[in-house]
Amino acid sequence: MADERSVVELTVNGRPYRVEVSPRWSLADVLRHRLGLTGTHVGCEQGVCGACTVWLDGEPVRSCLLFAVQAAGHEITTVEGITPAEGLSPLQEAFHRHHALQCGYCTPGMLLTAEALLRRNPAPDEATVREALTGNLCRCTGYQFIVDAVLSMRPSGGED
Amino acid sequence: MKPVAFDYVAATTVEEAVNALREPGAKVLAGGQSLVPLMNFRLSRPSRLVDINGVASMAHIEVRERELILGALVRHQQLVEDPEIRRSLPVLSRAAQHIGHWAIRTRGTLGGSVAHADPAAELPALLVALGATIAVVGPEGTRELTAEAFFEGFYTTALAPSELVTQVKLPLPQGAVGFKEVVRRPGDFALAGAYVERLGSGGAVTWFGFGDRPRRFSVREWPSDPEDRRHVWVELVRNVPVEERDQYKYELAVAVAEESYRDAGGEE
Amino acid sequence: MAQAMRPQMMGARVSRVEDPRLLSGQARYLDDIQVPGMLEIAFVRSPHAAADIIYMDLEAARQYPGVYAVLTYDECPVWLWDKATYEVGQPVLAHGEVQYVGQPVVAIVAEDRYVAEDAAELVRIDYRPRTPVLNMRDALHDQPHRVHAHTPNVFFHQEYQTPGFDEAFRQAPHHLSATFRTNRQTAVTIEPRGTAAMIDPASGRLTVYASTQSPHRMREDISRLLDIPEHLVRVVVPEVGGGFGMKANCYPEDIVVARVAQMLRRPVKWVSDRTESLLSDVHGRDDIHDVEVAFDADGRIIAIRDHLMADGGAYPAYPFSGAVGETSLAARVLTGPYDIPHLATVIDCTYSNKTPLGAYRGVWGPIASFIQEGVVDRVARYLGLDPAEVRRRNLIHDDQFPYRNAAGMIYDRGSYRESFEDALALIGYDEFRRQQAMDRQQGRYRGIGISVFVEPTAMASSEAGSVGYESCTIRIEPSGRVTAALGLGPTGQGHETTMAQLIADELGVNLEDIVILHGDTDSAPYGGGTGGSRSGPIGGGAALVAGRQMRERLIKYAAHLLEAGEEDIELGHGEAWVAGVPERSISIRTIAETAYTNVRRIPEGLPIGLEVTARYLPKRPVSFSNGTHVAEVEVDVRTGIVRVVRYAVVNDCGRLINPTIVEGQIQGGVAQGIGAVLLEALNYDENGQLVTTSLLDYLLPESTDVPQMIIQHRETPSDGEGGIKGMGEGSLIASPAAVANAISDALAPFDAFVDTLPVTPDMVLAMVQRKGA
Repeated sequence: MADERSVVELTVNGRPYRVEVSPRWSLADVLRHRLGLTGTHVGCEQGVCGACTVWLDGEPVRSCLLFAVQAAGHEITTVEGITPAEGLSPLQEAFHRHHALQCGYCTPGMLLTAEALLRRNPAPDEATVREALTGNLCRCTGYQFIVDAVLSMRPSGGED
Repeated sequence: MKPVAFDYVAATTVEEAVNALREPGAKVLAGGQSLVPLMNFRLSRPSRLVDINGVASMAHIEVRERELILGALVRHQQLVEDPEIRRSLPVLSRAAQHIGHWAIRTRGTLGGSVAHADPAAELPALLVALGATIAVVGPEGTRELTAEAFFEGFYTTALAPSELVTQVKLPLPQGAVGFKEVVRRPGDFALAGAYVERLGSGGAVTWFGFGDRPRRFSVREWPSDPEDRRHVWVELVRNVPVEERDQYKYELAVAVAEESYRDAGGEE
Repeated sequence: MAQAMRPQMMGARVSRVEDPRLLSGQARYLDDIQVPGMLEIAFVRSPHAAADIIYMDLEAARQYPGVYAVLTYDECPVWLWDKATYEVGQPVLAHGEVQYVGQPVVAIVAEDRYVAEDAAELVRIDYRPRTPVLNMRDALHDQPHRVHAHTPNVFFHQEYQTPGFDEAFRQAPHHLSATFRTNRQTAVTIEPRGTAAMIDPASGRLTVYASTQSPHRMREDISRLLDIPEHLVRVVVPEVGGGFGMKANCYPEDIVVARVAQMLRRPVKWVSDRTESLLSDVHGRDDIHDVEVAFDADGRIIAIRDHLMADGGAYPAYPFSGAVGETSLAARVLTGPYDIPHLATVIDCTYSNKTPLGAYRGVWGPIASFIQEGVVDRVARYLGLDPAEVRRRNLIHDDQFPYRNAAGMIYDRGSYRESFEDALALIGYDEFRRQQAMDRQQGRYRGIGISVFVEPTAMASSEAGSVGYESCTIRIEPSGRVTAALGLGPTGQGHETTMAQLIADELGVNLEDIVILHGDTDSAPYGGGTGGSRSGPIGGGAALVAGRQMRERLIKYAAHLLEAGEEDIELGHGEAWVAGVPERSISIRTIAETAYTNVRRIPEGLPIGLEVTARYLPKRPVSFSNGTHVAEVEVDVRTGIVRVVRYAVVNDCGRLINPTIVEGQIQGGVAQGIGAVLLEALNYDENGQLVTTSLLDYLLPESTDVPQMIIQHRETPSDGEGGIKGMGEGSLIASPAAVANAISDALAPFDAFVDTLPVTPDMVLAMVQRKGA
């Protein structure tokens, strides 16, 4: 099978890109190695670890299980897209304050999942937060400070 | 873990998809949440992927008086969240909540789950439990199969290579349907799961997670005594052949059936 | 500005300086390194556990468009082999035979990974399979045969016993025996391993980017193995996405990547995919212990006998075998925090046709704790005593420190009894026992497990190599800002923050005016790297010593420039002033300007500039942290599913540098311990195929598998620099035993004990059914 390339138009973090891709290139690889958006990480390439989580039209998806050609016509958002031009977002600040990251490798995926949850449900209870994060593996933190950081974003400031 | 090269066809109509699928080695790409990992492992090596995500006519959700009609492209997270589905067939929403994780559910599709036919998956079993019919289309036209006939074994279905699942019709159950599964972690495939339908004094149990496919057994009359019911579960589940290392799952099957039964009856 | 007003950074809950780049996706991990012309490598790995290589056909791969080179042993004849210690080494690419599934055989260098994997499929290799050696107990007796024909399967054997052991053991009134089994696990860092290498066009030096915990050791290994003078090799460690001991080794792939860069004079990179990780990252924890214990009627343990066996895999991991580490250290700390006078150990480490065994966080510790705490619980149940009470009767008393254990290890002071009692109070132990009895009557099986642990830290020798010291260079720049460099290899521990905290206190400068450099052998002073819970106590010690030397120099400057006595100078907020006369002050910036540019004003006897390098070697060969974990579980005896519902920790790692970071380390280690007991296992089939080659088969704990933890600190200072003890591993040393004991406790009505990790649902059901309800 010839590995023929074609040009696709992608919208990532609101910015349009024209990029030549092979159909078999994952969105994660194209974001990272063609567009230079290396905040999206690859940890398993089978949809389990969640490090490559990005938003497709605002919904969290695995960018290792999506071919870049499939993203044409959709809005892709990566960790770079939820980071303000200056400083950190409120959720990123909460992660910083609560020590919700150690090696940082799972962190972009965690942030995108948590941010998507909070936009749908600004006051989730702990069980909801934990359930939403089950698809993002972290090997360093034991999750507690991540959960604490997300809960602190509630209007009540973390209190149930 | 990179897939073999393939050529990519983005279909916008069922006809385009079916035509593109005539190519030997072609495969349907829907949510891709099972197929793409297999491709990344190079265990699945399609020469052509026919992307049906753009086929608008396959994404419908239609609630009728006696049945729920779902396009093959309905995503698992829609099953969880759609208010019409939650109202008309709550057990479907509850079961879908247990599929993978959120980011998997936003992409994964009903049709994909049906065509993949994992014996531990929640949706194929529910289709069997409810006596759903599955519509497929191919070069020869459209046909409808009962779920029981569709699922043939481990990852095998009655679907021909160039056929495509287009929609599923789920009869709304007359009785109450309970659901319970045992997983090691949330989102994992079930070690064992059961749907129990209670209608009048009888009903049916459908097991999944062990054996080669979901299995449904009718029960004419449920014993009211839990110990007697246990005998019913034990008797029935022995009809599902399992491998030696899965023998322990018979125990789990009995436990989930009883819990599912109670779930259906609103008992604690 | 009195001295007391200075913010004390040591012990403060400072938020990490590393975080902003990590949170915003700006951090650079290994796979983020991309330079023009960079090639990628894919490896052809052995599909057989044991086989002779008959024939290789590489032609189709070499001809494949986009392929730049195809390497076999012939192109890269290098062995990872410590010949002084072992009879066996591993060729970086298989030489004539393969000894485990996943062993690298051929390296494909191509324009990208996709093409490299295409070409890898075109390599044809004819193998003649051999019967693999897979069973540890058989392997001990060279059955079914030797893994390496020229040497027995037992590659490490050691015996030890305390004087009078036999008599003490024989005369004891009670005896029990048990076999404990831990199954293979691995670190599963979310960032897989990886290496990139390139020749620096200006200098011709070889630069190797490595996802490693020990930058200087990696440089030495590359230099020695590829015969490149050390000063012509630079190792740069980018951001590392987790290590847990697994990234402490030098791997075959590291050497092949460096060799390819040399050969092709092109930048080249290899990044492990997840299947490769599970196949080729060092495994850990493949141990069997046949244990006997002798004790009296009060539950006082008199003697422990243990035959420790570990399956080291096909080759000793380089440069140290995890099997030797897991057994020989376990044998020295097997009595844990208990005053047990007699110990007899026999160690056998064997070869097999499995992946080499290396380090995974805690190494020997999780195994020793599992045994030591399992033994205590068995004694308690046998005598009908509460497990907490039996611990009370055996714990080392405060007046026994420094305590010499039965294996001759010296424990420095700790809070053994206090942390134990605090932890029981924290979880509400007595209340739990009352509730447990009621729950059982209702068919709910809850259990509580106690794990009192000792954690040898800051050891002179550990997986971070035999370098017992660490180094720190502090440079105050002409601007007054501080650059400090250490030889550490952090993988998420937050050293840029904790080391800066220590230095800030010494120099009296603000935290944000300090930058910590690490992980580049061109800028960092020679050091051992990170591993074996050494970075805090030894790296921190080096930071403190260097900081103190620099502080003395600043005081000399300030005294000279302010015309005051050195004893009257105080430092803080980037200023120096005369005690009690705050208006007589000078900024560190002015001092630095003086030191670099106004050299005639430099005090007599001081060198130009502000730069010091200090090395710190602790006086003690090891310092023991301690603490107690208590886990509560609920076991569903119908399904075999176990949930950890509550968890309490009292931890004592000496003086805390940053309590929040310590808590993060504890929580992460407990999660790994829960994984170790309930989920994680690398399984081989009867042909020696690893069947857990994806994260759908090798299960990691998710957010819902880990409960909220209650953590309390105690601080018994060490007598080393800063009173700091290490703490990176204690949480994973203690937690498996706590969770395993909790399951045993829940299943006490079935007379069951957990003796094998992990405990899977089918095993729980078997335990329940074996004895009947």
